[in-house]
Amino acid sequence: MSDALAPRATRAGSESLFELPPELAIDTDVARRVIGEFIRGQLRQAGFERAVLGLSGGIDSGLVAYLVAEAIGPDRVLCVLMPYRTSSPESRADAEAIVRRLETANEVVDISPMVDGFFGPDSDASSLRRGNFAARMRMAVLYDRSVTWGGLVVGTSNKTESLIGYTTIFGDAACAFNPIGDLYKSQVRQLAAAIGVPEQVIRKAPSADLWPGQTDEDEAGFTYPELDRLLYWRIDKRRSIDEVVALGFDRALVERVDRMVASSEFKRQVPPIAKLGPRTAGVDYLYPRRRPGSARK
Amino acid sequence: MQPLRIALAQIAPRLGLFDENLATHREMLAEARRQGAGLVVFPELGLTGYLLQDLAAEVAIRLDDPRLASLAAATRDLSAVVSFVEESADHRLFIAAALLEDGAVRHVHRKLFLPTYGLFDERRFFAAGDVLRATASRLGVGVGIAICEDFWHLPVAQLLALDGAQVLINVSSSPGRDLAATNEVGLGTATSWRTLMRTYAQLTTSFVVFCNRVGVDESISFWGGSEVIAPTGESLFRAPLYDEGLFTVDVSLADVRRERIGLPLLRDERPELNLRELARIVAERAGMAPDSTAEPGAEPGLDVTPAEDLGPPIGFRPRPVPPARPLRPAKQAKQARRTRQ
Repeated sequence: MSDALAPRATRAGSESLFELPPELAIDTDVARRVIGEFIRGQLRQAGFERAVLGLSGGIDSGLVAYLVAEAIGPDRVLCVLMPYRTSSPESRADAEAIVRRLETANEVVDISPMVDGFFGPDSDASSLRRGNFAARMRMAVLYDRSVTWGGLVVGTSNKTESLIGYTTIFGDAACAFNPIGDLYKSQVRQLAAAIGVPEQVIRKAPSADLWPGQTDEDEAGFTYPELDRLLYWRIDKRRSIDEVVALGFDRALVERVDRMVASSEFKRQVPPIAKLGPRTAGVDYLYPRRRPGSARK
Repeated sequence: MQPLRIALAQIAPRLGLFDENLATHREMLAEARRQGAGLVVFPELGLTGYLLQDLAAEVAIRLDDPRLASLAAATRDLSAVVSFVEESADHRLFIAAALLEDGAVRHVHRKLFLPTYGLFDERRFFAAGDVLRATASRLGVGVGIAICEDFWHLPVAQLLALDGAQVLINVSSSPGRDLAATNEVGLGTATSWRTLMRTYAQLTTSFVVFCNRVGVDESISFWGGSEVIAPTGESLFRAPLYDEGLFTVDVSLADVRRERIGLPLLRDERPELNLRELARIVAERAGMAPDSTAEPGAEPGLDVTPAEDLGPPIGFRPRPVPPARPLRPAKQAKQARRTRQ
């Protein structure tokens, strides 16, 4: 039973499951509490009681499903499984296992006709174009279900992929709020183990599942624990390039990751508006997005 | 001296909804009265919520606002500290906390230090207060009020204590951050606050009463953990992290006398020394007087001549620079070399 896993026991027991750099270890009890309040607060302030999310069978969306179900109860959560025809059957099985375990509402939407309808079945479009398009079709489905289910779309991007830009803008990065966007992949794994996400989901190699056999780490050429540590020291702890090299990181890797972070800045920000009038949204018209009158009636 | 029952209203204010928050304050005040409290403390901006941005002007009140008067009217035989946005006659907006007693507004503190760094942006929206005063109270002791960041500046607690405060009240909207597992309670912010509050209580031999909010404004979560600390530095009560509620704790104000007799730190303070040295430092920092404690050649604000070969500042790539003038006059540089030999 997941409830029986005390955080300390989980940490010890999870050593074989994944590698957790010590400086990235978080207090998972506090994290669950903060994230639970955050989810409830976001929904209440927007006038919603329900949530909807895309469940791929991977660890990020799996963890979010667990966190949202814990925060508001599984009957208020809709998990949408959106496989493409080349998606891995194991992912689908893992997603179904999570839905069964949590007892959330669920729905399967095959996005193959949407993607193939645009590109044509024999298109030679690059996997990048197809992957981005599929991510945006999933976004479109989720925002439609946001209306029919009456719930806010919950984001499932983690801090690592957001910082290096390994996301599709207006695709998987699109959401009403994101409970795990400030957790590195290693911390996602730690929290997933603490909350009881099935072991096979934590153990398997992270993949965007854009083509068969793809894994993030193969594609990027570094491991998540290594990348997480580097981002933590560079960004959270404000260490210079020379200082992280002195910590033992390869200079070529450091410079490459720096370029990835800088070149994906646009994905993490609201698009700029040309400043013309006296007050401009985001520039000198600054209101909290949840303000009196903002909640749906 | 009668024990004093302190009620900590660890609430989650609704952002921008003054009337809803006012109702919460009334309920909490009534509940605290039922529970026999003599002092009820609400968090920073409890009447408005914290992350107001341009809403600040829309929820601001003047001190003669009937809604504040109505809250004061609920404090017969009670002391309460409440916090809101105060608009002055010349239309500056302050983060303010008022001591309400026996139906009246007895004292108002305007936040002195407005954090504008990291996740904070207060200086953009608010004016900083200019006055720090302890105040007498119906509790029979002096009270000093500070707001959140005010406690992150060393002189505040000492000035309040020297001015007669025996109870230092800090009202806060402190956002929790840094969940590193190595922290005392799994939260870096809580660990820092607890350290500094214990230090203030001990060094000023005063009670410290801390009321921090809970709830969520946009991205940030407030961690609660309201606390009362004795003049010995001992924590008497800690409210849970993140739980909303009204928490009461009984204290004996006679502990102030006991501690100040046994450990007369406050008696031995040297405010005239502070004043003299501060007057000198202020003049020197303003360039009105030469820096009398600096080594020759030290840059402004530094007492020590930089070591040679310091390297480029962190985060900047070295740029080719023309041959620099020596930082020290040549004669002194020669002397320095001789000293090393």
